[in-house]
Amino acid sequence: MSEVDKETILEALRSVTDPDLGRDIVSLGFVKEVKLCGGAVGLTIELTTPACPAKDQMKNEAEQAVLALPGIDQVNIEMTAQVRTSSTRASGFLGDVKNIVPVASGKGGVGKSTVAANLAVALARSGAQVGLMDADVYGPSIPTLLGVSGEPQTAPNQQIIPMTRYDLKIMSMGFFLPEEKAVIWRGPMLDKMIAQFLGGVAWGELDYLIIDLPPGTGDIQLSLCQKVELTGAVVVSTPQDVALNVAQKAISMFRQLNTPVLGIVENMSYYLCSHCGSRDEIFGNGGAREVSRKMQLPFLGEIPLSTSIRTHSDQGTPVVLAEPDSEQAKAFIQIAENLAAQISIQNMSGEAQQDIKVSF
Amino acid sequence: MSVPAEITRSGEHDVRILWKDGHESIYPARNLRLKCPCAGCVDEWTGKKILRGDDISEDVAPESLELVGRYGLRIFWTGGHSDGIYTFQLLRDLCPCRECDSSPDNA
Repeated sequence: MSEVDKETILEALRSVTDPDLGRDIVSLGFVKEVKLCGGAVGLTIELTTPACPAKDQMKNEAEQAVLALPGIDQVNIEMTAQVRTSSTRASGFLGDVKNIVPVASGKGGVGKSTVAANLAVALARSGAQVGLMDADVYGPSIPTLLGVSGEPQTAPNQQIIPMTRYDLKIMSMGFFLPEEKAVIWRGPMLDKMIAQFLGGVAWGELDYLIIDLPPGTGDIQLSLCQKVELTGAVVVSTPQDVALNVAQKAISMFRQLNTPVLGIVENMSYYLCSHCGSRDEIFGNGGAREVSRKMQLPFLGEIPLSTSIRTHSDQGTPVVLAEPDSEQAKAFIQIAENLAAQISIQNMSGEAQQDIKVSF
Repeated sequence: MSVPAEITRSGEHDVRILWKDGHESIYPARNLRLKCPCAGCVDEWTGKKILRGDDISEDVAPESLELVGRYGLRIFWTGGHSDGIYTFQLLRDLCPCRECDSSPDNA
């Protein structure tokens, strides 16, 4: 019987591939702290996101690979995660925020805020540190969706301290305005608000900062793309052609600004009857999948039109937390995992690393 | 989209960009100033140039520059102008090297 040592264990683990990154976990540097004691092996696998969709699969495969070695009868694998960044943001200005991900749409009313809130909650639930910035000054709905109100405090250094709820750090224009009062601003004011929400808020360390954008391709979107290096955007659409056509404009805007689009989410994909659970595709179905195929973008998933998403949203508890085992919640969690995977792919590929050396 | 790997000075005033694909562009300072795409230098609706060569001093030079998001460059010129965002695409199109200058896209 050949001697098993740490090298043979690593060699065996080379058979385990991260399906999203397409490389084995050893060459990716995921395997840490291999310990061998008699017939027992202990090791840690450090993934690029706690929301990895293939976490259990990789753990299983790694266990099988190690147990197949001669003389090994016990294996204990701990799964951890270290979210990566490809940002070269200067320290100071959002220097501790690893990934900034705006959620955008072409048209209004496609459920962008509901998607942003549920994705943020789903990522936080997986163990990631998550912030949610509501950049929709015209119709800030994040405070309602997350059941959080009140005016944020200011730290001694004049930074605004974000509100916290459901393990999220949250900032919204809604915290500063009476509900019935409208924001009627021209471009330069919107630009200042974006600067304030990015640089003037004590976000601290975050794995993901999700930004809920207003609909369209206007001042706020442009300001955001100018002020920070975004990881990539998520575009939300409903299945109708009219919404999809406008969604393509949003995608085209991000492409012009050299901001990657991480994927498309189809909301209100089908009606899920709360009585019998049957599906009815009232707006047609699969349109967003078709657009993502055509535009060569990842399709992140589809969310049903369901009364419970709406009622839980109105009550301030996103469906991902209120009914985590429901089909609706699972759809959001799956999309959050797919998004986290796309962010990892983006960060691990050389493409995202702009890394422009400026010495002037 | 072409993306720079390195942005440095060339000589005392000119701007040099080494692109990710290995291409090198050197932009004489004044020529680059004259190509400023801001709304004060180019009419936003007609695309007609408003800026006149006579308005720009012969020795205009970049004092500093900064990246804009993931897609462009802002240049702070002597004399105080800094409104234009030179997108990477624009800069690549403006490359004055003999090879790019003679290509049909750069006519």
